[in-house]
Amino acid sequence: MYRYDTIDQTLVAERVAQFRDQTRRFLAGQLSEDEFKPLRLRNGLYIQTHAPMLRVAVPYGLLSTRQLRMLAHLARKYDRGYGHFTTRQNIQYNWPKLEDVPDMLADLATVEMHAIQTSGNCIRNVTADHFAGIAPDEIDDPRPYCEIIRQWSTVHPEFNYLPRKFKIAVTGSPADRAASEVHDIGLHMRRNEAGEVGFEVLVGGGLGRTPIIGKVIREFLPREHLLSYLEAILRIYNREGRRDNIYKARIKILVKATGEVAFREAVEAEWALLRDTALRLDVAEIDRMRAFFVPLPYETLTDIDATAGREPEFAAWYRYNTRAHKMPGYRAVVVSLKAPEIAPGDITAAQMDDLAELADRISSGQVRSTHDQNLILGEVRQQDLYETWQGLSALGLATPNVGLLTDMICCPGLDFCSLANAGSIGIAKQINERFTDLDYLYDLGPLEIKMSGCMNACGHHHVGHIGILGVDKSGEEWYQITLGGSASGITSLGTVIGPSVAKAEVATTISKILDVYLAARQDEESFLQVFRRIGVQPFRDQVYATDH
Amino acid sequence: MRQIIKATQLLADEWPLPGEEASSTGAVRLTLIDYLAWCGGAALPGVPAGARVAVRLEPADDEADLLPYLGQLPLIDVHFPKSAEGRGYTQGRMLRERHGYTGELRASGAVFIDQIYLLARCGFDAFELAEGQDPQAVIAELQRFSVAYQPMVDGLTQPLRRHR
Ligand code: SF4
Repeated sequence: MYRYDTIDQTLVAERVAQFRDQTRRFLAGQLSEDEFKPLRLRNGLYIQTHAPMLRVAVPYGLLSTRQLRMLAHLARKYDRGYGHFTTRQNIQYNWPKLEDVPDMLADLATVEMHAIQTSGNCIRNVTADHFAGIAPDEIDDPRPYCEIIRQWSTVHPEFNYLPRKFKIAVTGSPADRAASEVHDIGLHMRRNEAGEVGFEVLVGGGLGRTPIIGKVIREFLPREHLLSYLEAILRIYNREGRRDNIYKARIKILVKATGEVAFREAVEAEWALLRDTALRLDVAEIDRMRAFFVPLPYETLTDIDATAGREPEFAAWYRYNTRAHKMPGYRAVVVSLKAPEIAPGDITAAQMDDLAELADRISSGQVRSTHDQNLILGEVRQQDLYETWQGLSALGLATPNVGLLTDMICCPGLDFCSLANAGSIGIAKQINERFTDLDYLYDLGPLEIKMSGCMNACGHHHVGHIGILGVDKSGEEWYQITLGGSASGITSLGTVIGPSVAKAEVATTISKILDVYLAARQDEESFLQVFRRIGVQPFRDQVYATDH
Repeated sequence: MRQIIKATQLLADEWPLPGEEASSTGAVRLTLIDYLAWCGGAALPGVPAGARVAVRLEPADDEADLLPYLGQLPLIDVHFPKSAEGRGYTQGRMLRERHGYTGELRASGAVFIDQIYLLARCGFDAFELAEGQDPQAVIAELQRFSVAYQPMVDGLTQPLRRHR
């Protein structure tokens, strides 16, 4: 993985010093709340319902075990002993003290981490496919390019006060595992006919109040032009994006208003003037970055039947929580942060420490975070899978539910977030209490439930097979349900099933929806396939028939 | 007397604001519309003969309108009505980097200490600060970072060329 040199280290150290000074001035009354807000946001610090919340960047979801141990240390020393992984592969702490935050950032800097631009109207932490570098279907590893983007976007002087936040996701595989089509910019690695690596560029995707799927504005961007092209897009957005209405300020609205063709022309015209400036990447620099991500020294192994003679619990875990690896004899292991009794994405300090120990012993000394709020051990020898399962089981991190109904995405909601209309953690609990029968979940097959506590859609509800959105009805928590969304394969936005349902009815409503699916299912059809075949009406009929 | 920071010095400002009378030294600052009209030969009541004329850009203004006049402009003032306003950073970079403007490039309006470093990297060399900013602290803030990732006019380290 990428290692800081003195430039990177100096930059984060100077940034910590700057924020320490800003915090001091705020606490001394020299900065008003309004003046301090944009500064703290750009250092990951929100003021939430109960306490400040600090969001730490996990660039493209890659962590060393040393870093994971530091995250555990922060949870223990400054928080209440746990952290929460988010849909942008970052980790959040819900209970730090404002005056401690500079020390937390200084601690992070000692392990080459920071919280720069994890919030605020600027370029956010770049995300990537969580199987980058190990996926069998990969065209090329996107992470060197993600690191280049991370550096370029960090404290970018021109783009620190954008009309609104700006999110970039990169994938190296044809399969989209980074929800890239619902990002402000999605980059898909491609090879052209000459075998050269470049990017398909999508722009203007996003969720929130106006969900839109990104549009391709360039089929193939040679990789050396990555930064100049991004800079061209950002410059157009910085100048032309709306600043008068927060709900219309994302680039998706600009692309829509300008028109795809005119927007592309504007970008290409700006790019023509930028492409041969100092932003052009040369091969030596790209190669230097790629060298940080060279594959591990893999052993020469062959695939084995890891489950032969093992108990069915292990076989179930193997089936649902492990994934193919590009190297024979290896598997990737998904560490489920979706045990029924915990809030989705939460992990304790002790779990982090023990997981780091396991990753050092059995995997590569690295851990990945996923946008669906799980973790991954990327490099596990198949012969070690049983031991891995035992280790994870002992930590409560082996719930065999990855990709199934209870592997829910869930934002912090009303319990923590000051923007929320309704709770989401409580709904996750309700669903977990209702659907306890693993065999039923296995029978249902792949099913993504995604939940957001408000229109901001941090829980990606629009692209859940079943999406749940918290709404406020005269001070009560209600939930609007959408069906048929997806952010992988063919990206689609969910269809609203009907009027929102009361809090106590959410799990029951999901039961009814699943009944319709099971009755309509032919052969091995998944929920999404059935929905795409039969549409929303049969679900609507079932859900509302008995209510009225 | 309004003070500004220019090239890390605290100086008295010789330029009146747009709408104010020309200074005793004949300095006057115009809005873009007025400036373009004046360049086009219009007689403006506030502009005495032989005046030295500067221009202020608002966020929605297009700095490219100034292209024919860059060589004669002693000052371009880029105005930030709010600190969240980000267009001025692009205007500054375009003037300095793309159009090669070499005169004074000033940020005015809601210019606070914590934006100074970003503005300087975009090519601004003068700052007309918002109320209540401590000029000495602002001057110190210009030195806050010794490294940066983006290749820009200020010549700070360019890590994108690190292998060399
Ligand atoms: S979706 Fe809304 S409630 Fe949930 S974390 Fe985002 S802003 Fe908060």
